[in-house]
Amino acid sequence: MRKRIAKSLVLSGLALVASPFCLVAQAQDYIDVEAERRAEQEQRGQPQQQAPRDPYGVKPAQSYPATSYGANSGPAGGGFDQGGAAAPVPSQGVSGGSNVGQLLLQVQQLQQEVMRLNGKVEEQAHELRTLKEQSLERYVDLDRRVSALTTGGEVPASSGASVATAGGDSSSTIGAADVSAQPGEAAAYQAAYDLVRTQQFDQAVAAFNQFLRQYPSGRFAPNAHYWLGELYLVVQPVDLESSRQAFTLLLDEYPDNAKVPDAMYKLGRVHFMKGNRDRAREYLDRVVRDYGGSNSAAARLAQEFIDENY
Amino acid sequence: MTRLLLSLVLLLTALGARAELLIEITQGQDNPTPIAVSPFAWQGAGAASEDVAAVIDSDLTRSGQFAPVKRANMLSRPSTEQEIYYRDWRAINTQYLLIGRVSGAEQMRIEFELFDVDRQTKIYAGSESGPASEARMLAHRVSDKVYEKLTGIPGAFATRLLYVSVTRNPGGKDYYRLTLADSDGARPIVLLESREPVLAPTWSPDGKEIAYVSFETSRPAIFRQNLATGQREQLTNFKGLNSSPAWSPDGNTMAMVLSKDGSPDIYLMDLSSKRLTRVTRHYAIDTEPTWMPDGNSLLFTSDRGGRPQIYRYDLRSGATERVTYEGVYNARARVAQDGRNVALVHQDNGNFHIAVHDLKTNRLHVLTGTALDESPSIAPNGSMVLYATKSGDRGILAAVSVDGGVKFRLPAREGDVREPAWSPYMSR
Repeated sequence: MRKRIAKSLVLSGLALVASPFCLVAQAQDYIDVEAERRAEQEQRGQPQQQAPRDPYGVKPAQSYPATSYGANSGPAGGGFDQGGAAAPVPSQGVSGGSNVGQLLLQVQQLQQEVMRLNGKVEEQAHELRTLKEQSLERYVDLDRRVSALTTGGEVPASSGASVATAGGDSSSTIGAADVSAQPGEAAAYQAAYDLVRTQQFDQAVAAFNQFLRQYPSGRFAPNAHYWLGELYLVVQPVDLESSRQAFTLLLDEYPDNAKVPDAMYKLGRVHFMKGNRDRAREYLDRVVRDYGGSNSAAARLAQEFIDENY
Repeated sequence: MTRLLLSLVLLLTALGARAELLIEITQGQDNPTPIAVSPFAWQGAGAASEDVAAVIDSDLTRSGQFAPVKRANMLSRPSTEQEIYYRDWRAINTQYLLIGRVSGAEQMRIEFELFDVDRQTKIYAGSESGPASEARMLAHRVSDKVYEKLTGIPGAFATRLLYVSVTRNPGGKDYYRLTLADSDGARPIVLLESREPVLAPTWSPDGKEIAYVSFETSRPAIFRQNLATGQREQLTNFKGLNSSPAWSPDGNTMAMVLSKDGSPDIYLMDLSSKRLTRVTRHYAIDTEPTWMPDGNSLLFTSDRGGRPQIYRYDLRSGATERVTYEGVYNARARVAQDGRNVALVHQDNGNFHIAVHDLKTNRLHVLTGTALDESPSIAPNGSMVLYATKSGDRGILAAVSVDGGVKFRLPAREGDVREPAWSPYMSR
């Protein structure tokens, strides 16, 4: 047993030379073993040998951090003491315990402390950056909703419900949204939308297509694309490719539209139905990733779909 | 006579100890595409030297994206278009059919055709030719073409692997063998055999040279070696660490880790003038440099933040920024050719896994569930990550697709295998 441990010690020493961090792979072993080995050596009265990295010319200064990772990654509390016990004391190198040795030790302690603080600063800067980005996103989102409300536009928060049920509450808000729409546009849209509600899907497809020819860049054009995407999935026979095109067009042309999370979720499902599992997963992951934090129903549905099917 | 016999025995043992890799697929895609690779017709004298179709079959199987039909289940074995009866293939639910012919004695030529069974049409035809001794490589090239045609991603079968195998020698020094093999582990060739450790093999960007660390001079030194000529050159002989060589994408510079000036730092060596430039200057450990594909920056591992994490050094501005934040340990980065996916070793609950960090989204995706995974190396087409891990108490190689969906292992017949390095695309 001991022989085997010694061997793994030598191996980890080699690994250290290849890359000092490899050592950590066996760090926990390493510390116990080294302490054990030192105790054994002291019992035998042998002169203390440095760890096996020494033959390759690594200075003790470099080996300290490697030892200390092990200590820090070990169980809380005990780990640090172990690390302290295992660290070879540099003052042995300058025998007689001169001040130089103490200074060396202090410098090393300071270096480790600076490194630890450096890591904290990096992490906090990273967190700050992430928080800033998030708060900007939230502000933009809020701003959009508020301005939509004050101008009587569609409230984006309705997205989830309209995905879950083909009707949804968006109809009422759309009805109120004709304030800034082109004359006739809202009525045409509403007429097409009513066909959806009365489940006349074939006629609805024709009506939305007609609507888009008439108002290609109208206020409700993104919604029309969205509904076409949905409708191609319920008409007989199902037209997956047209559905894919409609949703893709919405994502490409109106990336900021409130329907985007829903369209992305649906597009994932369309790809899934087309047997394209990987593309499907990409879209579903994107919904979860980009909208998961904003309490979006699309993100929740996408996650459920992933959980069920992957 | 006895002496001759002894040396013969030694030779045979050496051959037996070549650590050939065997492949076991542990996890495939949920819906692999069924494809049939009908045995290729041999149009030369005598018996065919290599079963080309079997090589292609195993390539496609290993990708995890295809489920080749077993030969025993084939109702017919066509080798020309006229011989194909589509109903034979529809009956066994095959989606694609690959047929081919092999001819030529010394100079071999493989002609192949790929058919869509449902549409009953030929969708691809091609040929590969080269010396018959390279029959397996020619077959891998056919696999590359078929794979690209069907998935849209270039194949990486006609590539090679470097790895170090260690044979334990109880009571004496271990044997270290730097080995070169095909991407399927076949045809292993020992490039260097040493009783001292050999580490960190790496490829030149054109795949014609390799570099590695060898302890043969009793201390670590970086060597470069030409694969065709076997010519070797010792690049470094500094006091302390000489490790982690990494060839720049233009092939002119070698990044490396030296500790000659104190703690391990990253240096660049101009390979023609051998002049050194120091890149990092920090009392922490800076190690494991790897180049971004554009050659403008390096990723490296440093514990300047108290724990090993990946940092990026911009060679133009001299700025260093931290790349990884997830978890307490991320090390030994290797960048895919797309410059986006970074394979690395990630520590999670005390276990070391292979993970991919997406430089665009800054997200980390853990790919493996085994405990002591190390030394990731990415296939030149970015599809798979090869790495070293432990199986029982033995070191083996394993591979995982960058989405984590496909896994296979390449255990050696004997000994420990570690530090794999997947070649770039080989220029012919």
